[in-house]
Amino acid sequence: MRYSYKEKEVKINRREFLGFAGVIAAVLWTGAYTVTDLIVDRTKYIKMRTAGLYQDDEKQAKRQSHHNQSLLNMYKKMNFQPLSPLAEELFHTHYVDRSVL
Amino acid sequence: MDNNFKGNERILHHSLPVRLFHWCLVLGFLPAGFTGVILFFRPFGEAGMHLAMQVHIVGAWILMVACTLFFLLCPGRVVAFWREAFHWTKQDIEWMKVGGGYPQKMIFLQEIDVPPMGKINSGQKMMGIMVFFGTLLIILTGAVLYFALPLVPKEIAYYADRIHLIVGLGLFLCICGGHIPLGIYNWPEFCSMFGDGTINAKHAAHHHPLWTQNEIEKIKD
Amino acid sequence: MPKSYQANELTGIIKIDEGKCKGCDTCKSFCPADAIDGAYGANHQIDNARCLQCGQCLVNCPFGAIEDTVDVVDQVIEKLKDSNTTVVATVAPAVRVALGEEFGMEPGKLITEQMYGALKKAGFKIMDVNFAADNTILEEGTELIHKIQKYVLNQPVEGELGPLPQFTSCCPAWVRYMELYHPSLRQHLSSAKSPQGMAGPVAKIYGAEEIWHVQPEQIFCVGVYPCTAKKLEASRPEFTAAADYWKKKGHTATYQDTDVVLTTRDLARLLKKLNIDVRNVEPAEEKDNPLAEYSGAGTIFGATGGVMEAALRTAYFVLTGEELGELRYEPVRGLKEVKTAEVPLKLKENGQEITLKIAVVHGTKNVEPLLAEIEAGNSPYHFIEVMNCPGGCVNGGGQPINPMGTSWTGKFKAILPW
Repeated sequence: MRYSYKEKEVKINRREFLGFAGVIAAVLWTGAYTVTDLIVDRTKYIKMRTAGLYQDDEKQAKRQSHHNQSLLNMYKKMNFQPLSPLAEELFHTHYVDRSVL
Repeated sequence: MDNNFKGNERILHHSLPVRLFHWCLVLGFLPAGFTGVILFFRPFGEAGMHLAMQVHIVGAWILMVACTLFFLLCPGRVVAFWREAFHWTKQDIEWMKVGGGYPQKMIFLQEIDVPPMGKINSGQKMMGIMVFFGTLLIILTGAVLYFALPLVPKEIAYYADRIHLIVGLGLFLCICGGHIPLGIYNWPEFCSMFGDGTINAKHAAHHHPLWTQNEIEKIKD
Repeated sequence: MPKSYQANELTGIIKIDEGKCKGCDTCKSFCPADAIDGAYGANHQIDNARCLQCGQCLVNCPFGAIEDTVDVVDQVIEKLKDSNTTVVATVAPAVRVALGEEFGMEPGKLITEQMYGALKKAGFKIMDVNFAADNTILEEGTELIHKIQKYVLNQPVEGELGPLPQFTSCCPAWVRYMELYHPSLRQHLSSAKSPQGMAGPVAKIYGAEEIWHVQPEQIFCVGVYPCTAKKLEASRPEFTAAADYWKKKGHTATYQDTDVVLTTRDLARLLKKLNIDVRNVEPAEEKDNPLAEYSGAGTIFGATGGVMEAALRTAYFVLTGEELGELRYEPVRGLKEVKTAEVPLKLKENGQEITLKIAVVHGTKNVEPLLAEIEAGNSPYHFIEVMNCPGGCVNGGGQPINPMGTSWTGKFKAILPW
């Protein structure tokens, strides 16, 4: 034997052990709860903004696009309809193959 | 024990699990800390920074796994450490006031009387507290930064990064500027931790009188 | 020009600040186009040729290291001061539920009247993009109905029509994605422009003549959008429909339909520079402004599923003669990445029953399986809405940055960067 003395064994009494375990459990649980709560709520701001828009929807007198009187007036005033030649010019477009640009 | 040891008697100072754990800290914390400094100052280009990050992750895994295993498999040592590190007496304050006699010895080559110490001296108790909580913080924030970045709110990620940086840098500086130099300076203790774990009994009686008086026993044949 | 851009288009709108980048790879996990280069731990850069300019990386970077490089706030303020210019703000739906956040309000606070009031105080004339959204529904809905008549009911239909399924085309990041990564399928995009694309011509033709009574050249059209990709869209060289229209009537000037774009964040900065606070500004209702009239269908464009729901409300009416019974069309609402539904319709002309199959996608990467089905020739859908940003435009790259959130709508999982 290289040595002739060693440390006495460490004894942990039950109260200490329970105290320790309790504190660790409390810390872990609080931490885990907070973090998972925060993670679960990460998209809450998106849901709140979306709810605001649906709220705006329900406030409107007209709920469908084809009942927008000012819009229909514009079509009448400018004397065209959806997909008519003028509408094609102003409101329709074509798309580009960007993989060759 | 009455502290009257024969010149060649030896005491087991650090058991094998403890020494292995310490090796894991050396191989885990030191590379992680060193690459952490690199990641902070960003001196290299792409390849260098990526390599630094890879080394940082490997060191961090070693640190995390070693700490977890040690806590689970050697609760006795954890409790012993906790008891000592958090048990402060007036003698500890006095010891801190004279810096344990180290400045006097190292700079002025003068030995002075210091209050008697246990297995770990007051400076090591202070370092122990810092290391315990610091490492815990580094591991927790590091886990957030490594496992969960797109999932956690940005503010959490930001503060995890801040804490990881400050605590990591702070600990690394203390280890490199305090623990390592002093650990080497105290050569018998260095040999004990990195060698076979034993320490000369007379030396221990001089440096750790409270330990040799109260905590050790002769091994049974 | 860098690759994949047309002449005069804005490029490099989104840029990573190398001094702040930590190489944490968070941005990469949100990029729908794999447009970010740089190894884990090293500085990251955006590859402009691949980038959709959507800004998702920007709003999700925990260190605020990504910026929007197109800043026209001072230019707009100059125009507002110019008495010879009529500055028209075209405001998107998603702006009104988020602008308040830049002034300390909660997300989702609906502040339409305060927003109008603030814009008026700054000197803008107002056009609500929700009007243009209704316009988009009329155009895109009619197009869809014509395609259904041609391909599903086998009726003769005049005019050139693309194939089914039809994709929505209001999201410029999605349009760029299609044009760049699946150009062979671009005929599936609706030929209708986005609401921004329509708002410019409406403002500079109808608005000029009938509403504000100014010369079209005097109108400076400022788009206010929750979106950084709208800055790219406004700069598309073919978006000069108003100028082309007026050239046929003897005018000579050339200009874009929408001159510049402010994001919600930009608008907040502009208002703050002019010392206008939406919390205590005099609200304005704009009840006499025809270009501020909109239906509920127009305003929900800002949420994922909103365009689909708006289109359904009109398509259902046109095809069946009856209004959609349940206006809250739940199957298309919510944050599930791909939502599908089947809408049974009884045609008004002959009582024939057909089922309209629709899909709603948000987060552009999630559209890939649907594109694969189209390429394989077995897509079951007639109409697919795609929004690049998770949650829709309310979570756009130009919106106020919410520190307690991220755009991750997918499942929990450990994201190991290396």
